[in-house]
Amino acid sequence: MTSIRIKAKERNGSVDVKTLMKHSMETGLRKGKDGKKIPEHWITDVTAESGGKVVFQAAFNTTISKDPYLAFKFDGKKGDSVKISWKDSQGKTDAAETKVK
Amino acid sequence: MFKSLSVASVFFSLVVSGTLLAGPLGIGTTATDEVIAGWDIDVRPDGMGLPVGEGSVAAGEGLYEAKCASCHGLFGEGEGRWPVLSGGEGTLDTLHPEKTVGSYWPYASTLWDYIHRAMPYTAPQSLTDDETYSISAYILYLNDIVDDEFIANKETFARVKMPNEANFYVDNRPDAQNERCFKNCADPKLFEIVTTINGVTPTGHFKEDSGVAANHYEGNPSAASEVGTSNEISTTKIVFSDTAVLGEGVYDKACQACHSSGIAGAPKTGDKTAWVSRIEQGMDILNVHAINGYQGEDGVMPAKGGNMSLSNDDVINAVAFMVESSR
Repeated sequence: MTSIRIKAKERNGSVDVKTLMKHSMETGLRKGKDGKKIPEHWITDVTAESGGKVVFQAAFNTTISKDPYLAFKFDGKKGDSVKISWKDSQGKTDAAETKVK
Repeated sequence: MFKSLSVASVFFSLVVSGTLLAGPLGIGTTATDEVIAGWDIDVRPDGMGLPVGEGSVAAGEGLYEAKCASCHGLFGEGEGRWPVLSGGEGTLDTLHPEKTVGSYWPYASTLWDYIHRAMPYTAPQSLTDDETYSISAYILYLNDIVDDEFIANKETFARVKMPNEANFYVDNRPDAQNERCFKNCADPKLFEIVTTINGVTPTGHFKEDSGVAANHYEGNPSAASEVGTSNEISTTKIVFSDTAVLGEGVYDKACQACHSSGIAGAPKTGDKTAWVSRIEQGMDILNVHAINGYQGEDGVMPAKGGNMSLSNDDVINAVAFMVESSR
């Protein structure tokens, strides 16, 4: 099951995208119950593509909260595909795709 | 007073008229199955109480966005300070536990029951059974408990296993620890209930730990004096000879300036180890040293303590006092 949930809706030629990425976003500064630091693990890059074209890009850092919620707009129409992918500090990636409603 | 009286009398008259006439409110009539069904809306974890009907995740998405998302958030993340419905997995035993449907709730049936009973906040019990199934299914989907193909109905809904169910268990501890007595029981009148409100800590609280602690708590000084060394001034009572009693006044005037604190190497009064070797020399030698002065290894004893107005007997008396104090 993907870690990314996307909702994309078109109105007047503009697509409203809302997305929530489930991610721990550990800064590497927090200490666990054993007193040791929890290793850092956070999303570094987020990319949104529509029809093979990048429509949104973001460089995250440790100031972004756990389970980041992101909303943006781009010019598009109903039925377009929206693909959102992220890469994190441990080299892991995930992606999800949906159709604009 | 008048108001409460009138309310009571209205209530009373209603009851009377209902009993006698089975009036407009139907008080006194037997509840029909249909009436009971209207009240019997609870749903149990095993699915008992769930009605016929079904709903899908896909149908629930639209309903959720229209009726729920304004408070609970599009993804169940919670708008503002409204309740969060999803996420929080693995946070229950941390400093900031997030109790959501997915991370905390033991049974999915509570979703159906609660939504049907109390949601949406502005229009409770306005949802149909199918709508309730759909919204419940969508919230389970937001928590990754079911996939997006899930169809919720009476059978499938009762089979949903919640991730945190195992952490709920029946508390089987007894109400009272003691065995119940049926035969030859003690007379309750003879029971004495004793409470110990005696300062912050109950008396004898430390008795089982160790004797030293018990002594210490009860203010018994013997534990402290046992560990004292012979270098410390003894607190035991000394019986003085007559000469020593006479010497005490002289000591206070002329000798204690040095002999109470040990200035210039003077042996402190009461310091047994310092006095042992001196007492062994005999009183005569000590008296001669005190009257005429003496240069020892530790320091100087001036003649008569530097106070030449003292008679020899005064000095002898004072020496006796010091020696007897330090034996």
